[in-house]
Amino acid sequence: MGRKKKKQMKPWCWYCNRDFDDEKILIQHQKAKHFKCHICHKKLYTGPGLAIHCMQVHKETIDGVPNAIPGRIDIELEIYGMEGIPEKDMQERRRTLEQKSQESQKKKQNEDASDEEDDDDEPGPSFQHPPAAQAPASYNPAMGQPAPVMPPAGYQGMPPMMPGVPPMMHGMPPGHMHGMPPGMMQMGGMMPHMMQGMPGMPPGNQFNHSFSRMPPHMAPRPGMPLMGQPPAAGSGMPSRPAVPPAQPAVTKPLFPSAAQAQQSASVSAPSHSAPSTEPPKATFPAYTQPPTSSSSASSSNLSSGGGAKPPVPVTSKPATLTTTSATSKLIHPDEDVSLEERKAQLPRYQRLLTRVGQPHVVGQPHVVGQPHVVGQPVAAAGGMMPPQQGMPPQQPGMRHPMHGQYGAPPQGMPGYLPGGMPPYGQAPPMVPPYQAGPPMGMRPPVMSPAGRY
Amino acid sequence: AMPMLMTGCIEYKLNQGPEDTISAVKFSPSTAQFLLVSSWDCTVRLYDVAANSMRMKYKHSDPVLDCAFYDPTHSWSGGLDAQLKTHDLNTDQDTIVGTHDAPIRCVEYCPEVNVMVTGSWDRSVRLWDPRTPCNAGTFTQPEKVYTLSVARDRLIVGTAGRRVLVWDLRNMGYVLQRRESSLKYQTRCIRAFPNKQGFALSSIEGRVAVEYLDPSPEVQKKKYAFKCHRLKENGIEHVYPVNAISFHGTHNTFATGGSDGFVNIWDPLNKKRLCQFHRYPTSIASLAFSNDGSLLAIASSYMQEQGDISHPEDAVFIRQVTDAETKPK
Repeated sequence: MGRKKKKQMKPWCWYCNRDFDDEKILIQHQKAKHFKCHICHKKLYTGPGLAIHCMQVHKETIDGVPNAIPGRIDIELEIYGMEGIPEKDMQERRRTLEQKSQESQKKKQNEDASDEEDDDDEPGPSFQHPPAAQAPASYNPAMGQPAPVMPPAGYQGMPPMMPGVPPMMHGMPPGHMHGMPPGMMQMGGMMPHMMQGMPGMPPGNQFNHSFSRMPPHMAPRPGMPLMGQPPAAGSGMPSRPAVPPAQPAVTKPLFPSAAQAQQSASVSAPSHSAPSTEPPKATFPAYTQPPTSSSSASSSNLSSGGGAKPPVPVTSKPATLTTTSATSKLIHPDEDVSLEERKAQLPRYQRLLTRVGQPHVVGQPHVVGQPHVVGQPVAAAGGMMPPQQGMPPQQPGMRHPMHGQYGAPPQGMPGYLPGGMPPYGQAPPMVPPYQAGPPMGMRPPVMSPAGRY
Repeated sequence: AMPMLMTGCIEYKLNQGPEDTISAVKFSPSTAQFLLVSSWDCTVRLYDVAANSMRMKYKHSDPVLDCAFYDPTHSWSGGLDAQLKTHDLNTDQDTIVGTHDAPIRCVEYCPEVNVMVTGSWDRSVRLWDPRTPCNAGTFTQPEKVYTLSVARDRLIVGTAGRRVLVWDLRNMGYVLQRRESSLKYQTRCIRAFPNKQGFALSSIEGRVAVEYLDPSPEVQKKKYAFKCHRLKENGIEHVYPVNAISFHGTHNTFATGGSDGFVNIWDPLNKKRLCQFHRYPTSIASLAFSNDGSLLAIASSYMQEQGDISHPEDAVFIRQVTDAETKPK
């Protein structure tokens, strides 16, 4: 029946061969049945998404897609509804359907399908087309990166609060129940093994199909077969394409910085079997650690007791830092200066600062280089306070505004210099810092060289 | 100031609030009745939140950046004048305990070691014996101190340059751990878990990390971070600083406050958001749960994130919180 062949194939689930009337329902089914995390029951969008989730959130490796029939458990395949199904299986399915209909019409007996039936399970080596090169946009939801999905929605629609107005909501608005926001995932970026098969795919190699299936969360790279059109639902894709040409990626990468990293990586690791020793690719560039410490981020950046620490410059900032991009804006004026430091520099507070007599110019702590070593007589002399420059004028603000009768200087206070209200500049000498002995419960602080930075 | 007590509400605004940006709110260690509020208006105020009235205030010569209770009757505070003051809340008497070489950014009390801790932009942490009171040591940090928190005898210091240092308050001879913040942007706030096992760290870039003190790999594996305090406006995601963290003393959950004006409560163990309150008039500058976990003090106060522009007035809201909002489900 030629008519039937041309007809759009009814949705079915590649993982369990179940039929569906509607692809939406199919997608729901896949999320609930095949892409659900067995630990936290979060529903992901694809097999790789589930694998990444389990790896990053639970530190667990997922071997196969749950509830899949034998041979369809491949976790690395990016299948979403009817998208991404290997062409071979699409044809297989078509054949089977056709056969069935023919059987039901008692017209023909099966003749050619039997031999193909057997390797139904395994995507054959002919499968060369990674679903990766599908239109990136359509893959966003399928990336195992729920970040863009939920929290903004959760925040939106919050009624703005007017000053002094009683709270409008008690407890939790139902729209905000979706648990931890998407970004909540384990740190440390992609685990290296997720990257296997990623480094440079040699052009024209008919190697192990599992390597040729490029997880779509990676941006296209040189050496990757580029495909202009989405290979959705087996639409006229040649099943045995010519050797894909190696050409520089021109497709717009999802994460440009990640793509750059991959480009360089693919140059240095041209073989598909090269172990992925390079740091994990920045699938979530704003998230992963800077390359210098990415692989060791989770453990080695906490060296204890001044042990080996990767030398990271103090002011190091990851190259991916961008305060403002086309899609996001950081509401903070200066990445390196705190709001308080900036505010303190406003003229109205600067006036106060200069009045103090000591130029506490923000950002220039004057005696910083000098370690204020404590607990030893040597340090006691210089460590406490540098010599004050200039006497501050009397400060009315130091009087007690309300209950002045108690405002008299606390005379009998230990460690206090007798003689009335101390102006600011004289404060240090009044406190004998190191003679009072260690406070209760404390050992005398001993400064060792290791304690200095 | 709007002298209006909203009785019958689960939330009300404190009367006689500070007249400039609020830097910190801290509940008394013994009762949910008293709250300290420090401000850029150079004052530290003591409120009776049950009566919604200000009991007293005392002044520094310059804006106050932090305050803390030593005990129910003594407040400690420091700020741009670099002076550390203690104030007897019974007798209304000031004592200048000592100074830093630059503005004091943080003031905390460690009950386990009975020591006050200050952190300053002079790149040092100083300890103070609260009984004498006097200086008990100065400890150089790699950068300006932006935030610090105490977990039993551990002191966690967050500095500029995204450094995190863990000290042993009983033996300050050396740094226990030097870490780099897990987050890529400037550290904004660090608060220790009530169970003392770890801390939450927030950054200026709408993100919070949950970290653990135990350096063993099994424990370190548990650390994670998540995005929050982001608002999509006109198709652009606005990412706000997370200025404030406060832990609920008994449930090990915590509240975060951002410059987006929202307060969220999180269950760090189950990685869930328990609730989000309504949007406050302006940035959340500071948060504090009361010692019994029944109240949350919320400082809504603009911090010049978007320049020196006109903004809603600074206010402290007191909100009654329920187990439904603060207890892990």
